[in-house]
Formats: sequence, structure tokens, C-alpha cells
Amino acid sequence: MTDILSVRGINKNFGSKQVLHDVSFKVKEGRIAGLVGPNGAGKTTIMKIILGLINFQSGKIEIDGQPVSTTSHQVLSEVGALIEYPGIYPFLSGWDHLKLFSAQGNSNEKIKKIVDELKMGSYIHQKARGYSLGMKQKLGIALAFVNNPKLVILDEPMNGLDPQATKDLRDLILNEARSGKTFLISSHILSELQKLADDLIVIDHGTIVQETTMDKLLSQGASYIRLTTSDDQQAKNLLANAGFKLMDDAKVKVIVDGENIMPRILKVMSDNSLDVQDVEHNKGNLENSLLDILAHDEEKEK
Amino acid sequence: MATLVKQEIFKLTKKKSTWICTAFLIIIQIAMAIAVKTYPRFMDPSEAFSSMFLGGALVVFFMIAASATIITMEFQYGTIKELLYRRYFRGQIWTSKWITMFLYSIYWFVLTFIISLLLKMTLFNSQIDFSQMLSGNNTVLGLSIKTLLANFLTLWLILSLVFLLANIFKNSAAAVSVGIIGYFATSIISSILMMLIQKWEWVKWNPFTMLYLPGQVQASQMSNLTKLSINQMITGNFVYIIIFFVLGYWIFKKRSV
Repeated sequence: MTDILSVRGINKNFGSKQVLHDVSFKVKEGRIAGLVGPNGAGKTTIMKIILGLINFQSGKIEIDGQPVSTTSHQVLSEVGALIEYPGIYPFLSGWDHLKLFSAQGNSNEKIKKIVDELKMGSYIHQKARGYSLGMKQKLGIALAFVNNPKLVILDEPMNGLDPQATKDLRDLILNEARSGKTFLISSHILSELQKLADDLIVIDHGTIVQETTMDKLLSQGASYIRLTTSDDQQAKNLLANAGFKLMDDAKVKVIVDGENIMPRILKVMSDNSLDVQDVEHNKGNLENSLLDILAHDEEKEK
Repeated sequence: MATLVKQEIFKLTKKKSTWICTAFLIIIQIAMAIAVKTYPRFMDPSEAFSSMFLGGALVVFFMIAASATIITMEFQYGTIKELLYRRYFRGQIWTSKWITMFLYSIYWFVLTFIISLLLKMTLFNSQIDFSQMLSGNNTVLGLSIKTLLANFLTLWLILSLVFLLANIFKNSAAAVSVGIIGYFATSIISSILMMLIQKWEWVKWNPFTMLYLPGQVQASQMSNLTKLSINQMITGNFVYIIIFFVLGYWIFKKRSV
């Protein structure tokens, strides 16, 4: 797989404040990459730089092997985007917007298709002045897709969408990714990103903290079972001897790495006459893993 | 570039204000013509015609507002991002907006002129004689057209400044105010400006002097005050328009959105 997007050594200052420090990452063709990090980490700034909207001090952006800068960026004809909030002319209808920004030779059927996929048919011919936040957001997303781009960049795309619209958008993104489109998506809604992203780029304080795949990150925050027993120290020794993997922790935490682990643990306990007072199953999720990474990053800085 | 201009024109035609202004202009012109017809002492019909039955002044205001908003609305609505992240160079975006406004200004001038002609033919056919000779070897029609062209050129000097300011402030109100003040400045500051020119001749090269072009076309003796010939003024207008265009582009190119 080739890299469709390459970001190399980007440094960016706003005045005397440096907001991006030597940011580098790559996105492979056909993948959905999630860009995650706390507020003010620099996610939107990175996206704007990729789209040639703001200048930067040093570094290089390439899309499909072609350089992008604020003044010259022909390759952006291959890119669709929604950054911050959708830009909408109140005096135009949704349909007018899609016609206005669609490339020459883009047929009405194609526009209709995207309108249907996002279920915007009932209001697409009304003036955008009367659109709700969610309707505007959908129109912004439709605009990002209208020219059938190779790379789609979405900044917090779920903003203002109701659960049904969120699911419609997720289905659309997954479908388009299957047909070969590449995505770079930032989102605060980590559970949503967990359902979408193949790769993750974690950013904090303008620095890339980790570049990994979703699978790897989830396994870092592995699923474990926490036991409270009549004698935790003895329980730990017994479980370790019986071949269970324990987490390096004062409490008894057994890593889940196979089927039927619970009955086997309980058997060890009862065989050795230890009382199990409480059991808690902790499933791995993106939020925990991510918070771990960011917490480590904070510690490093201190 | 043709695509970009087409897109700008599409937006313009979809704006209600375009059509409201058009209707307003026609109504005012007709009303003015009827007023002049009913009360001939109010204004000389030939004079009313050369001011395009008030249309000339209205067009200036419409164009100042349109030129400011064609830039500022993109910032106001956040559409500047959609506009810029496409394959086009920023210079193309900037130029397409100028071309659109240029075509729009031609629309207004042609419209006012045609309406004025129609009003002349229907209401004042016997009172306005186009071929009547005026001082300076001009016919009524010839002088009207020359004044119209001079007004067009100086309007563009003001518009180029409005474009520049709209781009700097990203705010219509500021750009429109400066444009309208600029338009009236010629009469407000004329005595001070003329005095300064008499004292230091080089002051004549400032942009405000160039705005006296239509006045000088109508009354050639004004050159005693401006110390510029008609041709120098025409050139001066062009030079300042180009300077403001390039300056605006330079800022637009560096802008982060």
C-alpha cells in the first residue's frame, strides 16, 4: 500500500507560541486514520495545513506524491474536507451548494446519490438559512464527498448529528473506505472512532505521541479481571503458578487471553480454599487506552 | 478561471439583494424622471439625464456594498475554507472576484444607461436634444457618455480600495464606510486638497485627486486646480487600481483562514 498523505516535520507558530512541534505521520491509501487528542492539541491546525489553508514555518506536506502549500495545491482536487464548522451560504439551497462546488461533468445523479445516502432529500431544495445544526453538518459532509475525492478529511464530523445520522455517516464512511477512499478523521467521540478507524495518530500539545493501529492500541489497554479475595498475595502466587498472566499491580488483575478464563480462575481459588469476595471485568476500550497514553505523556513532561 | 467567475455569478444571481437593488434602481429612475417632468424647475432635463436620473449615484452605493460583501461574506459564512482548499491558486480566486464585480458594474452601468435612454424617449423626447452642442465641442449625448465612462473609472478606483479594506478587515461595515466616505471625500476635502496642491504641486498625485476625473471631463477648467490633464488622471486611476489590486492579492495570498 502506498502513502496517500505524508506529513513531514511540520513546525507551526502562532506568533511566539509554537503549536506544532516536528509533526510527522503518514496515511496509507484505503485506510481510515483517526486523529485524536485533547482540545487544543493541534488537530484542526494540522488539517488546515494539509489543506493549504494556513502557512507553516517548516516541513513538508505531500498528497499522492505532490506537494501542498498555501499558494499552490492542484492536488487538492483529489481531496474533500469539512473543517471546524461547515461553510454555508444562507441564500443558497443545499442543492445549490452541491452544484456550486461540484466539479465540471458531475452529473445530477451523482449529487442525488450522496443526498440520498445522507437522507437529506426532504430539505435539500430549501434555503440553507433555515437549516438546523445537524442539517448544516450533513450538508458540509455531502460537500466533502461530492467530487468523489481520493482522500477525505473530516474534522469532528459527528458534531451536531443525532444517533441515526451518526450511524448513516458511519455506514457511508465504511462503505466509501471499502471502495478505496482514504480518510483522516478527528473526533472527540472516541467510541465512534473506535468503530471506524484502522489507524490512530495520537497528538498532544502539538506533538505526535503515538502512531499506531486501532488493534494494537486496544490490546495495550487489555481486558482484565480484577479479583478481591480473602488473601490477595496468595491468590496472585497461585494464579501465576497456574499459568495465568497477571498485571503488574498491587491488586489481583488477571489478563484475559483465552476462552473460559473465569471458571478456571474460580477453580484455582476454590481448590485452595480462598474466598472470592468480588469480581470486576474490565474490557479494553479506546478511551482507557488513550487516557493512559496521554497520562504518560503528561508525566514525561513533568 | 471561467468556472470560478461562473460560480461567483451564480451566487450573485441567487442573492435576493441583487434583484431588490435592480428593482429599486429602476423605480427611483422612473420616479425621478416623473418628478423632473412634472416640476421642470426642479431640475433641467438634460442635467437629469446626464446624472442618469439619480441612477449614477445609486450604482456607486450598490457596487461599494457588493464589492465589500463578495469578500467579507466568505469570512462571515466560513465558506472561505471551501473556496480555498480546492485546486485553484489563491490569485485565481482573488481575480475571479474582481472579474465578477467588473461584469457586475458593467451590468449596472448598461442598465442605468438603457433605462435613462428609455425615459428620455418616452418622457423628454422634445426637451432633451442629444445633438445639442455644449461648450468644449461636446454634444449632450457625447458629454453624457464621457462622464459615464469617467465615473466608471473613478468608481473602480474606490472599489479597488474597498476590495483591499474588505480583505484586511474581513468586515463589510468598515469597508463600505470607507468606500462611501471616499466617494464623498472629493467634495468634503476639495478646498483643502486644492489648497495643498497649490502649495506643493506633488500632492496632486494622491489618489483623491484622481477622483475629480468626471468633474474635469464636464468642466475642463478644473485642470487649473488639479494641475493634471485628463490623460494624466486616467493613467493615475489605472495605476492606483493596479496598486490596490496587487496589494490586496498579496495580503489575500498570505492570509490564514
